[in-house]
Amino acid sequence: MAPNPRKRRETLAFYLSISPWLIGFCLLTLAPMLLSLYASFTDWDLLTAPVWVGGENYRQMLDDPRFIQSLKVTAIYTLIYVPFDLVGGLILAMLVRARLRGSSVFRTIFYLPTVFSGVAFVVVWMWMLNPRAGLVNLLLAEFGINGPRWLQDPNLALLSLVLMSFWGWGRSMVIFLAGLLSIPGELYEAASIDGASAWIQFWRLTIPLLTPTIFFNLVLSVIMTFQTFTSAFVATDGGPLDSTLFLVLYIYRQAFQFFNMGYAAALAWVLFLIIMILTLLLFRSQPFWVFYLGEGNNQ
Amino acid sequence: MKNIFRLFVVLTLASLILTACQSTSATTVATEAVSEGGVTVIRAGTGDGGEGLTPHQQIIQNFEDQNPNILVQLEAVSGRDYYARLLTQLAAKAAPDIMQIGDDAVPSFVEKGAFIPLDECIKQNNLDTSIYLPGLLDPGKVNGKQYLLPKDYSPLGVYYNKKLFDAAGVTYPKEDWTWDDLLATAQQLTKDENGDGVPEVWGIQLPATWTTGFEYWIGAAGGKLISEDGKKYIGYMDSPEVIRAVQFYADLYNKYKVAPPPADLNQFGGGNSEFDNGAAAMRLFGRWPQSGLKTNPNIDLGVAPPPQDKQRANVLFWGGFGIASTSKTPEIVCKFLTYYAAEPGAQVWKDWALPAVTSVAESSGQTTDPIEGVWIGELNHLVPRAYTFTPYWNETADPALRKVLETVLLDPGADVSAVVKQAAQEAQDALDKLNK
Amino acid sequence: MNQETAYEPEIFRLRGWRKWLRYTLLVILSVIFLAPVFWMISSSLKPEYQIFAIPPIWLPDPPRWANYQEALTSLPFGRFAINTLIIALGTVIGHLISCSIVAYGFARLQAPGKDFLFILLLSTLMLPYPVTMVPLYIIFSNLGWVNSFSPLIVPAFFGNAFYIFLLRQAFKQIPTELEDAAHMDGANFLQILRYVILPISTPALATVAIFSFQAAWNDFLAPLIFLHDQSKYTLQLGLSFFRGSYTVNWAYIMATSLVITLPVIVIFFLFQKAFIEGIGFTGTKL
Repeated sequence: MAPNPRKRRETLAFYLSISPWLIGFCLLTLAPMLLSLYASFTDWDLLTAPVWVGGENYRQMLDDPRFIQSLKVTAIYTLIYVPFDLVGGLILAMLVRARLRGSSVFRTIFYLPTVFSGVAFVVVWMWMLNPRAGLVNLLLAEFGINGPRWLQDPNLALLSLVLMSFWGWGRSMVIFLAGLLSIPGELYEAASIDGASAWIQFWRLTIPLLTPTIFFNLVLSVIMTFQTFTSAFVATDGGPLDSTLFLVLYIYRQAFQFFNMGYAAALAWVLFLIIMILTLLLFRSQPFWVFYLGEGNNQ
Repeated sequence: MKNIFRLFVVLTLASLILTACQSTSATTVATEAVSEGGVTVIRAGTGDGGEGLTPHQQIIQNFEDQNPNILVQLEAVSGRDYYARLLTQLAAKAAPDIMQIGDDAVPSFVEKGAFIPLDECIKQNNLDTSIYLPGLLDPGKVNGKQYLLPKDYSPLGVYYNKKLFDAAGVTYPKEDWTWDDLLATAQQLTKDENGDGVPEVWGIQLPATWTTGFEYWIGAAGGKLISEDGKKYIGYMDSPEVIRAVQFYADLYNKYKVAPPPADLNQFGGGNSEFDNGAAAMRLFGRWPQSGLKTNPNIDLGVAPPPQDKQRANVLFWGGFGIASTSKTPEIVCKFLTYYAAEPGAQVWKDWALPAVTSVAESSGQTTDPIEGVWIGELNHLVPRAYTFTPYWNETADPALRKVLETVLLDPGADVSAVVKQAAQEAQDALDKLNK
Repeated sequence: MNQETAYEPEIFRLRGWRKWLRYTLLVILSVIFLAPVFWMISSSLKPEYQIFAIPPIWLPDPPRWANYQEALTSLPFGRFAINTLIIALGTVIGHLISCSIVAYGFARLQAPGKDFLFILLLSTLMLPYPVTMVPLYIIFSNLGWVNSFSPLIVPAFFGNAFYIFLLRQAFKQIPTELEDAAHMDGANFLQILRYVILPISTPALATVAIFSFQAAWNDFLAPLIFLHDQSKYTLQLGLSFFRGSYTVNWAYIMATSLVITLPVIVIFFLFQKAFIEGIGFTGTKL
């Protein structure tokens, strides 16, 4: 098949269009990625030169109970957090989407918690979850319930962090909002003329057209949540009893507290592979449920 | 919308231009500073923050006044992130000339060649090393050679609130008091008037799961955490003395309930605030919060040494400055270092913390002060900290010890002996892997 | 779920109980979402030892406004603010420009290797920063860019996977008729992007602007390692100084955090309108 000039032009246009990113990638991202990959095969304490040890770091991982623990912690957290984030964000977006008086105030209110940077907000949360004087337990006490020890309970610490994360729904809310607002109005009009009820409109119109946004939030949520760091670092430092030992926290510790940069890099690359595989799976699933308005088939 | 966008673009272009001007002018200043008139710039890295920077800045100011050809650029990062930046800079061979590190990082850094030995420097600047209070040079020594000089330090002490003692009619702690005295005193002070199970006044606020601070308890009980050769935890970490220490500590919390439960396990010291609020009569900790405590209206402050058990013991927490091996101007840095760590620097420090130089401590009256004198006196009862025996303390014993404390504090029914033995085994396994 | 689906098409007016139900829900949720913020405000006005008092003190009495003055003057926060503003604005512009172009390429153009490149793009999000920052520092150190804003702003002009992905999703949803028409009229790639696509993508662009600004404003790790001397520090770095190695001044942290966050809130509030005005361009009323 002879390459036709139109295709060639398009290919050229494509590579030109992504050149800013591509150049930046080669200069600023590829090098660190490769360097860290190299580091993962070495013993490197950051103070002296790296020493090649082959696959030793990777072998060591299998023996490392903390690594297994951190995988568990991160996986569980992600599995719980992501669905809640998607549903919560969507509900909030639906509630504030209306172009009514006060909507912008509510939007700002819901977005507000995500605007504060890590430390201060997490600290406030830690205080709210304080077993004896925190807001949460005081409220529970009103109902006669003896509140648990939250962040200090090895069985509940992780869930406490999940609870904390709910206040971050504002972020996915904003994205869903953008998605909701770009669904053309005439589709709704046509649907209602055809007699579809609000319920039907939601499920057969809104949701399908929202799938690109859902997909986006899902993929990014998975990628980002696997790399949770700040809340664990500030609130619990991985404890109690390693029940909140997130993988990136463990990586940070290995690199900057134990001087094991090589091992940390190896851990990071394992994390990378896990996220990559999950993302690829999600992408593969696209044809089954994601529907782009700008392309082809209608429903 | 268009207007917002336009405004945006204008603002950004303006700021980009500003940046361009800024960075060029900054680099010009730097190069000029170095080349013109032979002014040297030395970079000093420190992990202090907030007001903790003021003494540094003051000392730097004094030094620069006396040495107009030298500029000291203070690069400060507060808290735990300091090491992240420092290590990154070291990896890129772009570290500051003079670096501050904490005591437990000294062996690793020195062994990896990050610092130069200071004997030359000390000789050249005629630094008399006997000017220091006892025990303050040791954390900066590795294999007998001095690599760092002291910046600040603190042993442990027991703060007590005279108001609460007086109200309960209890005598103040004596200098040679024992663990049993501590328990008795705490019990007398703990009051739960309304019987709801939560005392209005607690006997003593303890620092929860703080691992390195716990070494005091072990030392006082006559125990050790690790063998002299740094290879064995078994036989030491699980010894009867250690078990006794852990048991006593846990009992204070769970059995006798004289200590309030930890508020925040991640915060240094447990995050409790009972003592601050006048709800606890005593507090075991270092000297760091003292200035705040002195001005706290709820507290009439006194300080006592930590009680003894089998022996008197205390542990020292220390920060020091050393010269980076990558420094291009070690002699000049040395001049600053010796200025800083000797009497001139100590004169500034005495207003902020305990000075390291004996003469300054004496002349400022601190050695005889009823409160400061206690801290200084504790320097005579120090036991070596476990990290001095192995470079792998952080990775092996520290997590194990932390686990022990977390378990026994959170679970009143835990079998202390079993928990300790298990921890010792875990630490040993980890250590063996690293030592092989 | 009924009450929510009733609101979503604007054609349906909210009447009676549904409207009130929605408002009630919103108010309840607002209280919940604002509770931590309320606590921050309350804490920022207390003398230090009252912050963690048991039983908790809800409203400080009297409120210690001096906290704000003391906190903000203890360090040159004005300078920090300017620094942070420069970095944030530079970053946002960089992202908006570069990410639109790249995203459009990914959304509409076909070429061999495109899928692989897109996965590669996403993969840049998957390596945790603590690991890449050391090699990055070495690179920038060799370029002589450390201790300047360049390592923080320049990369934005090369795109960012998150925003590229977001814009790609948005662009893909636009019906191709408009672009086809423009093509017929002889417009090229950049022209179509500028005159056809971007004007109707304001919700997505506004989202990118908000997130990008916020991320740059709140960034801690990158400024931490790339900025050495204090005159270049950002607000977040300044804030971290209240967390000393041994004692923490929570009142100051709360007060400063609140003040620092105001610009981001303002930006969000302003750009929200961009969402709404953007609707007008997608055809008819929603």
